[in-house]
Formats: sequence, structure tokens, C-alpha cells
Amino acid sequence: MKYAHKLIAASTLAITASAFATPALAGGVDAGTLIENTASASYTVGGVGGSVDSNTVEILVDELLDVAVATLDGGPVSAPGSAVLTFSVTNTGNGPEAFTLTADPAIAGNDYDVTVDNIAIDTNGNGVYDEGVDTILAAGGATPLIDPDEEQIVFVIVTNPAGVGDGDNSQVELLAESVTGTGAPGTTFDGQGEGGGDAVVGTTGADDEALGDLIAAAIAVELAKAAMVADPFGGTEAVPGAVITYSITASISGSGSINDLLISDAIPVGTTYSAGTLTLDGAPLSDEADTDNGQASTAGAEVLIGDASAGSAYTITFAVTID
Amino acid sequence: MKNNAFNRALGIASAVIGLALAPTAMAQDLISLTGDVMVVKTVTDDDGITREELVGPDTVVPGDRLVFTTGYSNDGVEAVENFVVTNPIPKAVKLADESGSFMVSVDNGQTYVALAALPTVTVDNGEDGVRSARAEDATHIRWTIARITPGSNGKLTYSAIVR
Repeated sequence: MKYAHKLIAASTLAITASAFATPALAGGVDAGTLIENTASASYTVGGVGGSVDSNTVEILVDELLDVAVATLDGGPVSAPGSAVLTFSVTNTGNGPEAFTLTADPAIAGNDYDVTVDNIAIDTNGNGVYDEGVDTILAAGGATPLIDPDEEQIVFVIVTNPAGVGDGDNSQVELLAESVTGTGAPGTTFDGQGEGGGDAVVGTTGADDEALGDLIAAAIAVELAKAAMVADPFGGTEAVPGAVITYSITASISGSGSINDLLISDAIPVGTTYSAGTLTLDGAPLSDEADTDNGQASTAGAEVLIGDASAGSAYTITFAVTID
Repeated sequence: MKNNAFNRALGIASAVIGLALAPTAMAQDLISLTGDVMVVKTVTDDDGITREELVGPDTVVPGDRLVFTTGYSNDGVEAVENFVVTNPIPKAVKLADESGSFMVSVDNGQTYVALAALPTVTVDNGEDGVRSARAEDATHIRWTIARITPGSNGKLTYSAIVR
């Protein structure tokens, strides 16, 4: 029994300490808080002590409407086709509030404008857009209620238009507006505050916006083919018996990467493939379709490169003999 | 049965308290404390000149300055002496950093110092650790009036900012 008492005393102390340590909220005391002030006096009259209390004055703290929007992307998001921009919407007011979201892709000075497909709420709170999991907002939709000082992560899903040049820049502006209302600081919405008071527009105007940056990632593959003839007499004449060595270079330019890159060439009519001459970047490949990624025969030569990133180049060579 | 016994015991207790308070109650009627609060609002007139106005607390948001007033009045025929008015500061506001004719406490009313002497006092508010006390740390304020002559009255005010 005694032990139990001690435990209770200890936990009470802990609560007191933590209540004291609670940092002041950015948006101030919660809307709906009642401030009560009472004074009391003690005195003596003719040597007799007395005391008196004042009436208690009460003030209800009204709701301040404030919001901050920020991009959470570390830099421009590369947009090959489509892209996801990540923003935070923080309630800097002092009451739970929802915010209407609007994404504007038409920003002056940008190289091109994207199409905004959707705005989504990070429903599972993992900071990453999960298609089919994170809730898509209806047009003109709003966030769920966000508590004071809490943030909601929001995604804007966009698609690049066709014909965008590699490295072109674009931006999307996300605007969040308090559902209760916006306006000049000090604008009051009677009785619409949390906790029964009014709602008052704060210094942010109860709306805020932030830009998310996009950079277009276009990728292109260019093939260059060269031929070198060596005749049996030490010259470069294309005569029967001469060997032609073909060199095909695939250069990948732009940014991003491509998949399933296959370099292939047919053996020209009137020539015969010289067995064992296939190479990739100088390394010999076997003619058979086996574990290495090249094969060649009388029909033609082909080398599967697979994934290739921008800025890289691959050269295959093979030789034929003129019939 | 048990309830009845309890009620009776309570009744007796109340009666005793009533008797003890009786002389005080008489004095209380003659000495009154009246609390009031106003909000300081910055008003811009048609000429673009801003000035501060005291208005009723219709709309109050964090950051607003409140002026709490306690009026006192001695309506008796005898002088009131050692008149000490204590005002716990509501937790949702912080004492404005300005001079006043009062003493402040940062330890829930156990000790009082002049506002100007606050830097000599240390507080541990958890968040910043131990540091010199500031006006915002004040938990109570206190005014002391040595003597209030019969028929006289006055006002005690302090300003606080909604946290």
C-alpha cells in the first residue's frame, strides 16, 4: 500500500514537469482556451484581518487562421513523362483547420507548363506517394483537419507535355487556403472559430503557396556506323576476299536511362560473316546465343546492352568477307 | 442512514465556518475588488494614422495585449491597512515586459521581487534549462498599499500578452 502511494506521487511529479516543459506553440494557445483572471486582497481594519476576492473575468481565445506551405523536394524533380512533387502544409494557427488545395502549373518564366493530374494526401504518412493508397482529392478539395503546429504532406502528380527538351525547367505552385476563410489579416468570421469563438485571419492571410521545381528529362539514342576495308593485298579496295570491319556506336544523350537497348545489324548481301569477330567495346563475344550478351551468324549480329544511362556509349564491331 | 449522518456532520461543520467568517464578511461588504479586462487594438484612422485603443474583449487571439484592471474601494468608515492584492497570472498569458507598481513572483507566489530585479532570479522552465527570470516567467503579481482611507478608491492594472 505504501509502495503504491509512492508510485502515484512520483507520476504526479513527472506530469508537472512535462507540462511545464511543453514548448509554446507557434500559433499560440489553443483556440477555445478560457483565460480567467481573479485578484484577491488581504488587509486589516482596526487590527482585524480580512480578505476579499474580485469577480473573475473570462476571455475566450479565438481561432487564428494561419498556414505555411513548403516544398519538400530537395531539388528539381526530374520529369520523364510524369513526376510527383511533394509539399508540406503546416497549420500555424491555433485551432484544427482544413485547407483547400489548388495546384497551378502556369508559372510565368518557365520553359514549359506541365499538366496537373491529381493532388493527393499522404494518407499513410510515409512521405512517399503510393498510388491507390494515398487519397486523391476531388477538384477544389481540402486536406483533412490539421491540428495546430502539425503538418500534412501533400503530393502533386504532373505529366510533361510531348516535345519537351531535355533540361527544360517548369514549376508548379501549390496554394493552401483556410476552409473557414481567407482575407486581410484581422478579418473576422463571427462564431466560426474552434471552441465557440470567432475565427480571425492571421498574418499569413490564412493562405500560403510554394513552388515545386521540375526539370524535363529527355533521352535519345544515336547510332553511328563505320566500315573499314582491308583487301588481301594490304590495301583498302573492296574486292572479293577483302574483309570489311563494321563498327556501330550507340550514344545515349540527354538525362535519365533507357531499358532493353539492343544493337543489331544484318550481314550485307554479297558478304559472309567472319566467325569469331564480334566484340563489344573491344572485348570479344562468342558467336553462339549463350551466356554472353552477343550473338552473330550469317544472318546478322546483335548485342543486348540492357539498361543504359544517359552519357554512356557502346561500340560493337564485327567483320564480313566480300564473296 | 449513513447518508443522513454524513449530512448532519456537514451541516455542523458549515455552521462553524459561518461563525468564524462572520466578522470578516461584514468588512468584506465595505471593501470591494472589481476585475475588468480590455484588449489593446491598433486602429488605423482615415488619415492612415495608427493609434492604440482599449476595446472590449470581443475578439482575442494569441499575441494580443490584454489589460487587466482590478479596482478597489474602501466604502467603510475605518481606514484599511496593509492592503495586499495578489493576482495569479492566467497560464495562457505572459506578463508584458513593462514597469508597474507591483512585485512579481516566479515561484507560484512564494517569494516576490520587483520586476526590475527579475534578472537576479533564476528559473528552470524545462525548455531552456536554468536561466535568469524574465517577465514572461512571472506566475503571480502583487500590489501592496499601506493604507486606504475611508471613501477612497483606486485601480491596479497589469498588461499581459496572450501566449
